[in-house]
Amino acid sequence: MDTDRMIGDEVARRVLTAALSHGGDLAEIYVEDRCTTNLSLEDSKVEEAVRGTDRGAGVRVFYGSLSTYAHTDDLSGRSLQAVARNAALAAQGANRVQVLDFSRAQSGLEFPIEKPFEAMEAQEKSQLLRDLDQEARRFDPRVVQVQARYSEDRRRIRIWNSEGRHAEDERNLIQLSVIAMAQEGDLVQRGVGMIGGQLGLELLDRVDPLAEAREAAASAVKMLDARPAPAGEMPVVMNNGWGGVLFHEACGHALEADFINQGVSVFTGRVGEQVASPLITLVDDATLPERRGSYRFDDDGTPSQHTLLIENGVLREYMWDMAQARRANRHPTGNGRRQSFRYLPMPRMTNTFIKAGESDPEDIVRSVQRGLYVKMLGGGQADTARGDFVFSVSEGYLIEDGRLTAPIRGASLIGNGPEVLKEIEMVGHDLELDKGLGQCSKGQQVPVSVGQPTLLIPRITVGGTSEIP
Amino acid sequence: MEYLRLVEELAERASGGDGEAEVIIMHSRTTMVRVNAGEVLEMSAADSKGVGVRAIKGGRMGYAYTSDFEPPTLDLTLSSAAALADSSDPDEFRALPGMERDLVENQDLEVFDPELSERSPEDKVAFILAAERAALDHDPRVVATSYCSYHDHTTRMFLANSHGFAGSHESTGVVAYLRAVARDDSGQAAGLGLGCSIFYRDLEAELVGCEAAGKAVQLLGGRPVKTQRAPVIMDPFAGVEFLSFVANALTAESIQRGRSFLMGKLGEKIASARVNLVDDGRLVRGFGSAPFDGEGVPTARTSLVAGGALEQLLYDTYTARRDGTASTGNAQRSSYRGLPYPAPTNLYLLPSSRRVDELISSVDTGLYVTSTMNTGGINPVNGDYSVGASGLWVEKGEFVGPVTGVTVAGNMLEMLHNVADVADDLRFIPISDSIGAPTMLVQGMTIGGT
Ligand SMILES: [Zn+2]
Repeated sequence: MDTDRMIGDEVARRVLTAALSHGGDLAEIYVEDRCTTNLSLEDSKVEEAVRGTDRGAGVRVFYGSLSTYAHTDDLSGRSLQAVARNAALAAQGANRVQVLDFSRAQSGLEFPIEKPFEAMEAQEKSQLLRDLDQEARRFDPRVVQVQARYSEDRRRIRIWNSEGRHAEDERNLIQLSVIAMAQEGDLVQRGVGMIGGQLGLELLDRVDPLAEAREAAASAVKMLDARPAPAGEMPVVMNNGWGGVLFHEACGHALEADFINQGVSVFTGRVGEQVASPLITLVDDATLPERRGSYRFDDDGTPSQHTLLIENGVLREYMWDMAQARRANRHPTGNGRRQSFRYLPMPRMTNTFIKAGESDPEDIVRSVQRGLYVKMLGGGQADTARGDFVFSVSEGYLIEDGRLTAPIRGASLIGNGPEVLKEIEMVGHDLELDKGLGQCSKGQQVPVSVGQPTLLIPRITVGGTSEIP
Repeated sequence: MEYLRLVEELAERASGGDGEAEVIIMHSRTTMVRVNAGEVLEMSAADSKGVGVRAIKGGRMGYAYTSDFEPPTLDLTLSSAAALADSSDPDEFRALPGMERDLVENQDLEVFDPELSERSPEDKVAFILAAERAALDHDPRVVATSYCSYHDHTTRMFLANSHGFAGSHESTGVVAYLRAVARDDSGQAAGLGLGCSIFYRDLEAELVGCEAAGKAVQLLGGRPVKTQRAPVIMDPFAGVEFLSFVANALTAESIQRGRSFLMGKLGEKIASARVNLVDDGRLVRGFGSAPFDGEGVPTARTSLVAGGALEQLLYDTYTARRDGTASTGNAQRSSYRGLPYPAPTNLYLLPSSRRVDELISSVDTGLYVTSTMNTGGINPVNGDYSVGASGLWVEKGEFVGPVTGVTVAGNMLEMLHNVADVADDLRFIPISDSIGAPTMLVQGMTIGGT
């Protein structure tokens, strides 16, 4: 698709003028052009091959605390004028503002794509899925089912607002995942392998996708020998990387400004207070290269930034989008995100992680007499405002006398995110971000990254005897 | 209608002569209003349309879509669907429905409200503000609302395939809901109120507000009970949530993929004699009613479970061909952006003539559940069911006090066998699919509390 099919300055000016014709404080137009391809394999067959283009625009008008929104997937001038009139409908505001001259916002960030998605035919991408399937099945005869999925997503956005802001961004996401199912008797276990990020097809040259298939098969097969998890309170060591999802769900959401403004978050009104162990520094950073949560400008057109949320245990800042920042008279932190032009932005995390500490990860394991080592977390649930959580452990091991021993199954971690943050006793020097499949759901889906170094939680309730699906 | 001709022409071109093709256009208009504390927070209006092309050749299937109707983009979408078909693997059961059945001609399903388009945004704002007002005025202990919103849609669907099928269908829907928050010395409780209708004029703001307020207030002071086995009475909200898991297990896709606790049970008794489950794509005023499904197959009334025996599954064309049977007209399309998949149209548990109070008075000790929360404790393969629940405790056939913070657990197959009674208050709660349940009594559930 050529971006020239999207609108330019002159159309934007006419739309914003129409949107403000009944009054209002600020008007904005958001235009998006997106092309996605999804291929999926099951039963050793590529069954679903779907490609689509989504193009559309949304117009938002602020009147005090009210915002109105209208969107369309027809970018013709006539349709956009109708959308602007719809967005202006609720206007009762006496406030009259002028549309200022646009100036194109600059970002120093580059997220270059070396090998565009078009560099490979759909057939080759399908063949890759078949190869992954074969590789996982070849690994062990107990691998009975394999699901593999490839997806690419190119999204171009343009934003103009009546204060003269004009921002453009392009985001390219690729992901490849393999789920292997291994069976012995009635017992079925699952292993996952994945790679992805804000990259083009060069990802496939840099990492060997077949290694992910073997990894998925290996972890499924290993879990067949797992014994039921011990229950009760015990020390837990969380492996670096994906474990950060627990803190994303159980602490990160409570730092989003909408929960703060509503007063429902445990962190409301606590900036400057010690809310976590002094070993903990929690960061949200949308400027990192190659990460799923990165961008040059957020979906309000605000430049992305590195935000220190918690510094050495002290709460420093929340995550703000434009609407919540206006409401609280604060500066946005570039965290306004939307699933597509069909939605209003809201404050969302980007790439959120706990910074590296000083401990040697091996020393962390050695410090535990008897406990649980969590290599991979499965699904989970968290109450976003209070931070209570339940997460299943999809790959875990017993720690006995400072060493990893038997694999365990059916474990879950139960606790409260902010409480766990206070209790963390050791933080490794091995910060790692997830392997590139993070998706956050808060009414709208947005891509994110999570991360952490190896951590020691001295006490947490390990519960449940339920099988992991 | 112009779009009908367009889908016919595109289907013909996409088939390329030796393949099969199906083209769908969906055009929808939606509005939404969200309010809080008497103020409008958000209003949105959307007009969206798009076209999706499914191409099948030699059992290989590809799908492409776009929202851009300019001829070059449409050409690209057709060739994209064909290229994707070439890159997928052949499956002998992949095919479009043939034309062996005649479309039953337009019985009026009463699913379109011609007056909806005449309603102004001001009407809709006033409506949802009145619902919130009704909740706050219902009882002084109701202190706030959340998620208070109004939604409506008008959707037109145009479908054609290269075997000569062409049809269109239009429908409307109006939904309003809110959560009321009640507070007193004992703490805080919340309740959901919901109103859904095809016709704007049938929706009553006061009912939505009062339902939410009534549920919130009655849960004030709720506490967990002791862990025990006891009967559970599910109100239609709790019943519909339970049935949505059963409905998923009843799709042929779940069964063929080994993801259903009803695998291998066709023809067997899977429930008590009180359980009669029907899927009716032609239910008058049904939220999921249409003359034909997402592949152009005529919809029908299908008896799934009769007197407790599993008689039939929900089929689309692909899953039916795999089982050597006929589609039941259950191919659904949630948007033009995706492939059809088998799902319910209007699926419901048949009511009886017994009143709800008769059901309750028949219970010696048990829990009347008015709200459930899915906490991830549902396993579709082995049927394990565990949800968070709140409601009212029943002793000697009377409500004796609120219960919150408990779990209700069982196995879905056992629960179906343990349905001891159903009432006369069938209600559809079309949150995702259009599913309806009357109040139902299930014996022998595990209530997890203190
Ligand atoms: Zn999240």
